[in-house]
Amino acid sequence: MSSGEGEKRGGGDETARETGARLAAAESLNATLHWSQEALNAEGSRVDAMQQAGVLHAVPIALKDNIVTTGQPSTCASKILAGYTSPFNATVVDRLRRAGAMIAAKANMDEFAMGSSTEHSAYGRVKNPIDHDRVPGGSSGGSAALVAAGVVPVALGSETGGSVRQPASFCGVVGVKPSYGRVSRYGLVAFGSSLDCISVFGDTVLNASRVLSVISGHDPLEATSVREAPIALPAMRKDLKGITIGLPREYFPADLHPGVKAATDRAIATMRELGATFREVSLPHSKYAVPTYYIVAPAEAAANLARFDGVRYGPRHIEPPDGDVRALYQTTRGTGFGPEVRRRILVGTYVLSAGYYDSYYNKAQQLRAQIAHDFRAVFADGVDYLFTPTTPTPAFRAGEKSEDPVAMYLADIFVCAVSLAGLPAMSLPIGRDAGLPIGGQIIAPYFQEPGMLAVASAVEGVVDATAEVRG
Amino acid sequence: MSIGKEEVVHVARLAELAVSEAELQKLADQLSRIVDFVAELNEVPADTSAPPFQAGPAMTPLREDIVSPVPLARGPGSFAPVFIDGFFVVPRLGPMEEE
Repeated sequence: MSSGEGEKRGGGDETARETGARLAAAESLNATLHWSQEALNAEGSRVDAMQQAGVLHAVPIALKDNIVTTGQPSTCASKILAGYTSPFNATVVDRLRRAGAMIAAKANMDEFAMGSSTEHSAYGRVKNPIDHDRVPGGSSGGSAALVAAGVVPVALGSETGGSVRQPASFCGVVGVKPSYGRVSRYGLVAFGSSLDCISVFGDTVLNASRVLSVISGHDPLEATSVREAPIALPAMRKDLKGITIGLPREYFPADLHPGVKAATDRAIATMRELGATFREVSLPHSKYAVPTYYIVAPAEAAANLARFDGVRYGPRHIEPPDGDVRALYQTTRGTGFGPEVRRRILVGTYVLSAGYYDSYYNKAQQLRAQIAHDFRAVFADGVDYLFTPTTPTPAFRAGEKSEDPVAMYLADIFVCAVSLAGLPAMSLPIGRDAGLPIGGQIIAPYFQEPGMLAVASAVEGVVDATAEVRG
Repeated sequence: MSIGKEEVVHVARLAELAVSEAELQKLADQLSRIVDFVAELNEVPADTSAPPFQAGPAMTPLREDIVSPVPLARGPGSFAPVFIDGFFVVPRLGPMEEE
């Protein structure tokens, strides 16, 4: 990926051709929902005609299909939005294009970003490029797979409860979730509005950082967008002297997968050699993060997805054909949403319904406050960053968790708490076990993305992420 | 704690979501599994000592009250199922309240 900014550069047409060839070769992964050589060529010509080369000049980028674009459909991998093309671009899309990036493809995902394996797409599961029998993680599995397969150097996903860090870990790429509010959600189809963050995959820390520097920053079109400057490119560092890293004991249970443990132990030893100081800390409410998340997120989803009712977007179904407007709503939604989305809408509606609101939703809000407070207390006590495994195991086999929704939810056990607290965090490849990638998670205080990325770049420079960690 | 078929029907009606008789038992089983799992939170003693969590800025920033519409690449007629004379067309309204 080039780094030249300012000077006018060509290369768009060539990038379009090469990217198209790579997309075609990767079709068996089922990682894309919409792309065409014509659209790529148009993007190539557009960036070649730009007066000045931006920081992402002629860089092809894939977008998760819940980020709306005028040039391609945006379906959220759901039948309920089949054929829908947005009348406007998401803010991040406009910013990327202005910086010279080429929108290469819309990536497959779990329907409406609900899932941890990208098996819940209405358009079929995505395969992990490292092992086609395994899942790429989710919900941004298509974006992760495209970067892992070398089709694009960078891609956008979205996080509600770990949907970029977890697939980054499963696919062996970098995945960065910024602080809540740091990247505009304008044009991201809403799932859990108090949690949703557009996030970035990259083949390297530097490339992910470049994308973040372009898409972050205040957006007047989005009420939760914070008035902070864009994320600066990190000062890439070679050592970690003077940095204190906390190891939360709740994230290193005795029964942690041995490959994950070996990889995190090796990464910790490497960071210690680079000069970092480690300290064991506690985040006592983290064990409640998954149940808390599975109350808060479905509740918000039940409200957000009420808009998909057959009136304004997508295909319309009505049974009986002469039925009233409620028959329209119920049939369209019953037909258009897949099984996991239906489950979450029902759970969300249940926890918000009369008689249950206090014991579920209010209780979850209390726990969320305590989870966020745990992080604040640790960071206020002299810890600069936290380091944990990103996932409890490497990528699991397709179908392995399909029958038990709760088993699937627990794949996000190490990533959920950060989302509830709104903090920035990232997953970095730190080794392989039996050929499968393992990710290490770095968690930072609010708005400390540049420091977090700098730590990651130091580790990236030393750790052999493709080496087996157990002999 | 378990959710029965009748409760699934009730919640599905609140959510305006058609569910078929054939899938009711499976949904009841799955929702029970999920709700029993999240009910773990009830083992935590009530504690409101932590300040309430608020996502995003402490105060919603206001912008000047100036109309500045985002230019649309295409009109609603291009994606709405039925759009006539500037209106989204829906079937007749039925009773919105349960008897």
